[in-house]
Amino acid sequence: MKRRTLLKGAGVALLLPCMESLGQVADGDSPRRLLTIVNHLSFYQPELIPQTDGAFKKAPPLLDELSDHFDHLKIFSGMDNPAVQNGFGHTPCVGILSGYFNKLHRKNRLSIDQAVADLIGGDTRFKSLVFQAGENLNFSQIAWDKHGLPVKQIDSPRKIFNLLFQVDENEKTQQQVLAEDRSILDAVLAQAKSMEKRLNATDRVKMNEYLTSVREVEQTVKRRAYWADRSKPQVDYELEDFDRKSVDDYVGTLLDLAVLALQTDSTRAVTVQIPFWEGFKEPDLSGNYHDLSHHGQKPEKIQKLLMLEHAILKRINNSLSTMKQRTVGNSSLFDQTTTLLTASMGSANSHNFDDLPALVFDARMKTAGHWQKTDVPMSNLYLGLLQQFGAEQDSFGESTGAFEVLS
Amino acid sequence: MMRLAWTMLLIGFLLAGTVGAESKLEQFFVQHCVKCHGSEKQNGEVRLDKPVGTLFADQELLETIATVLEAGEMPPEEAPQPNAEAVAEIMQLLQKQLLAHRPVNPLKRLTRAEYTNTIRDLFGVDFDFTGLLPPDHVEHGFDKFGEAHLMSPHQVMAYLKTARFIAERVLPDVKPKTRTWEFDVRHFHGSKNFATGGGGDYRDGDDYVLTGFRPYRSNLHFSIDPESHDQFVIPAFGVYRLDVQAHSEKSDEGEVIGINLGDGRHPTSFRSIRRIPMPHGSQGFTTELTLQAGDQLAFTFDSARVPGRSLEKKPHKGPAMRFSHLKVTGPLTEQWPTAAMQAILPQPNMKPGELVDHITLLLTQRPLAVQDRRAFVEIARTQKKSGASMTATARSVLIALLTSPHFIYKSESPELTDVQRSYRLSYFLWNSAPDAELLSAARSGALGKDPSAQVERMLNDVKVGRFIDDFTRQWLQRDKVDDFGPDVRVFKNVRRMTVDSMGREGRELFRHMLEKGLSMEHFIDSDYVMANDRLARFYGLQAVEGDDFVPVKLPEESERGGLVAQAGFLKLTSTDFATSPIHRGSWILKNLYNERIEPPADVLINEPDIRGTTTVREAILKHQQLESCSRCHSKIDPLGFALEYYDPVGRKRDEYRYVEELPAVQEGTTFTKKLKFTNVPIDAAMKLPGGREVRDMITLKAALMADKQHIVKGIIGKLISYAHGREVTRADRPHVDAVFESIAEEDFSLRAAIHAIVSHPAFGRK
Repeated sequence: MKRRTLLKGAGVALLLPCMESLGQVADGDSPRRLLTIVNHLSFYQPELIPQTDGAFKKAPPLLDELSDHFDHLKIFSGMDNPAVQNGFGHTPCVGILSGYFNKLHRKNRLSIDQAVADLIGGDTRFKSLVFQAGENLNFSQIAWDKHGLPVKQIDSPRKIFNLLFQVDENEKTQQQVLAEDRSILDAVLAQAKSMEKRLNATDRVKMNEYLTSVREVEQTVKRRAYWADRSKPQVDYELEDFDRKSVDDYVGTLLDLAVLALQTDSTRAVTVQIPFWEGFKEPDLSGNYHDLSHHGQKPEKIQKLLMLEHAILKRINNSLSTMKQRTVGNSSLFDQTTTLLTASMGSANSHNFDDLPALVFDARMKTAGHWQKTDVPMSNLYLGLLQQFGAEQDSFGESTGAFEVLS
Repeated sequence: MMRLAWTMLLIGFLLAGTVGAESKLEQFFVQHCVKCHGSEKQNGEVRLDKPVGTLFADQELLETIATVLEAGEMPPEEAPQPNAEAVAEIMQLLQKQLLAHRPVNPLKRLTRAEYTNTIRDLFGVDFDFTGLLPPDHVEHGFDKFGEAHLMSPHQVMAYLKTARFIAERVLPDVKPKTRTWEFDVRHFHGSKNFATGGGGDYRDGDDYVLTGFRPYRSNLHFSIDPESHDQFVIPAFGVYRLDVQAHSEKSDEGEVIGINLGDGRHPTSFRSIRRIPMPHGSQGFTTELTLQAGDQLAFTFDSARVPGRSLEKKPHKGPAMRFSHLKVTGPLTEQWPTAAMQAILPQPNMKPGELVDHITLLLTQRPLAVQDRRAFVEIARTQKKSGASMTATARSVLIALLTSPHFIYKSESPELTDVQRSYRLSYFLWNSAPDAELLSAARSGALGKDPSAQVERMLNDVKVGRFIDDFTRQWLQRDKVDDFGPDVRVFKNVRRMTVDSMGREGRELFRHMLEKGLSMEHFIDSDYVMANDRLARFYGLQAVEGDDFVPVKLPEESERGGLVAQAGFLKLTSTDFATSPIHRGSWILKNLYNERIEPPADVLINEPDIRGTTTVREAILKHQQLESCSRCHSKIDPLGFALEYYDPVGRKRDEYRYVEELPAVQEGTTFTKKLKFTNVPIDAAMKLPGGREVRDMITLKAALMADKQHIVKGIIGKLISYAHGREVTRADRPHVDAVFESIAEEDFSLRAAIHAIVSHPAFGRK
């Protein structure tokens, strides 16, 4: 067992921030959390999705990696994203969580993780955190805010760790800086408004994006000013040297940090994108992950691809187990967290954006098992999830109805 | 009353004209198109059985229709063909319609490169904002398109942070103290294992010997003191001088030292910042670098061994680099107060309003609108009232202005004003804001009358290098040259340095052609190549000395010359083991012909099943049989296949060498993978849509040369697209054609093309 398979965090020293002025968390009423995991290159579905509907009798090999959590797992397969256009390589992957992609308008629509964060993210240091690796703007952005603008995705485990746990040495000057930020934002907002009036219609749309962005930043600055006076939680977790090569190192680190972020209540919505552009390598496997995903049905390539997919699912399974062991307040982290695991494509071999799988883990799940769907938008699942988080709306994206996620 | 009647009459005429045109188009579509693009079938998701008014509203569709009609691609061969006159008439109607609508050119903001250059020129500080500003979206090959410039809270936050970063560094409260640090062999470490050194690097007497290079890792690091493994960290932003004592061994040629930033233990931050050529026999070098607090220096050298198998079995025999001493001095301050400080705060005491106006003019050369100015003055006033120093007040104003749309956006009127035109010109040829001379030429009206003097001056300025670098990087995708492989087990002796030189060749060709006013034909073929020492050796040409590129005359029998024969292009379109004819062919269509090719939206690439095929050709031809693919692939594939005699690193080959990886064998703690090679003959001959056969580099270049007019126009289109910050469409034909006509008399000189692009009236339109 490798060094980080088990979190050292059995002894997480929690300095949970007080939330007296930012809404109340009633005693005994544990907060709900969402962990969203997206595997960009999808999974080899014949080895993931059971042949039959209903309870898992004989789980296919990939799915079997998650067997520790079968009691709390619902799998939906065969869903599609009707508003995601095919035919642009990996680019439409940006629409996996919003169900929307239009190459001509780079703006997207609200993604499910951010929709949930809008509902549950008010009381924590971060409304949401989105982790991914590397920058590839053409297809790596998956988190979109309510204006359809991209949400910052943090690309280095070191940066994530510092953001969550590192004590800022310049705390005293921070309030000053934030106050200055506010007056600067006022000034640029006023200038943008006045400039907007002098522009033609197309340019005004552009300036409006700026205006909206500045207003959002104002909110962030306010939140920062509140949290700047409150200390960050301390954790007993060493972010070790890693060469971002093996799945265990890389996906493992991101998932560890996701669990820590939730456990310390730094945020209640974490999204992790498992990338491929860093090119995972396992010790006894050569070949580039992306290249393997274009397996062309060659058995030897599929075999290699499956090695990586097994490693990824194994690591997710471990993190779910860790969440069961961690207690936050009166219940385990797993009890408080809904985990959504999905993939940006149905198959990375053909770049199709339908036939999508989604796995939902939730401690409250009444009936576990598999449901094969046809002609059902992914947004129906998203709407079902959103309602579980207390949303009162009856549509999301391209939804035509809502799944009973927990029934 | 009279006037109204006239107007009515006029409208009547216009309507009649349009109606006539509409019915003609409708007739034509019904006759020739709607069978496959109508209610029954919607091939390519295109329907033409709609009212012409609706079709006219869709510029992109019109563009596509015009393109396929003109090229004779539609109606398809097997369908009855319209006569040439009918097509010409329809083309005229379409073109008229396309010209009537100038493509929208939405508001653009500064790209990261433009922002960086602008700030560097303003303050004379060599800033690098790679980690601060997000990279820009690339649309149709360029990052300059307003259409793709999405703004987001993240982006605004980055602007704010970057502005603060700049302000704190150009307006410091106190003079930074200059210090000196010295390092010798006791402080040096390799990066693989911080304690013992790694990758075959070792200590030897007073030297630390470097032999290898590891991707994502920098190689030689310096610890703060001999006992500690903590790396030396740059304490504050500023210019630092590095005095390095080092020399190469086991090599009889010059070397290039790469200076990188990165923490040896967390190497993901690895970033190359400077390359320093060291002539053969050199004992060291001195250089000055602009560094940031927290930066950690590391050195590599270019002919280092690419990571390979265990060194215990095979000791390294190749070139090595010996480092004996390093002295770091900084941050250096030439004068105090600095030039930037004097520029921003020329007087010790300025009124808030004065300060805002002064900094505004310094940054953008144009004043803020009166109503916009108020909030910025308020910032200065508040700061002053709270007792802040003049420097602190100026910092706040500077941060605010650098974050404001006034600075960030490049606003353009439908007809550009003289000043706006100078901005477009400057961001085209310098990738930065205009200087005082250009602005005064704009204001005096001289630029509007005849830009040639300014263009000539700008092309002779050293800043033109930014355009050459940025344009060719994006146009030729030079930065992708090192994205894949090569796999060192297959392509032995292709060193990192050679690959790096390949990536520079396209840029150097452009530079040479621009400087010498050479014909754009040279992009297709030429009797020389631009090469440095390594590239000349790689191509098997007469020896060149040093890392700089010079023109090298090609021997009679050489197939090199022209962009398609450059190793860089041949490599960046390949993967680590294999060439990709489709990638190569579509690169030629997109970047030389400026054609727009994208997979059709309605084609779901069904799981390609390539089990039954053995060669790339078979695999590709198999899917070319599909009607929906063949329209583009009949153009793409022949271009790509003709280049199959060049391998994934751009070397000539006679047959394919298929590489198969055999299952891993465990030997001790290392896994060794054996490779199996199978040789297969190459079959490169294929017919272009016009019927002309291409079968190798020579015939391909001849075919491209025969198509010179299209290619030169395609490249002119790329330049216009880069300058205007939007895609070039058929509506730009008059502009492209005029440039082409005017340079035809000057042997299609690249330099003349740039003059012609700028002096055309279309350059002054949004």
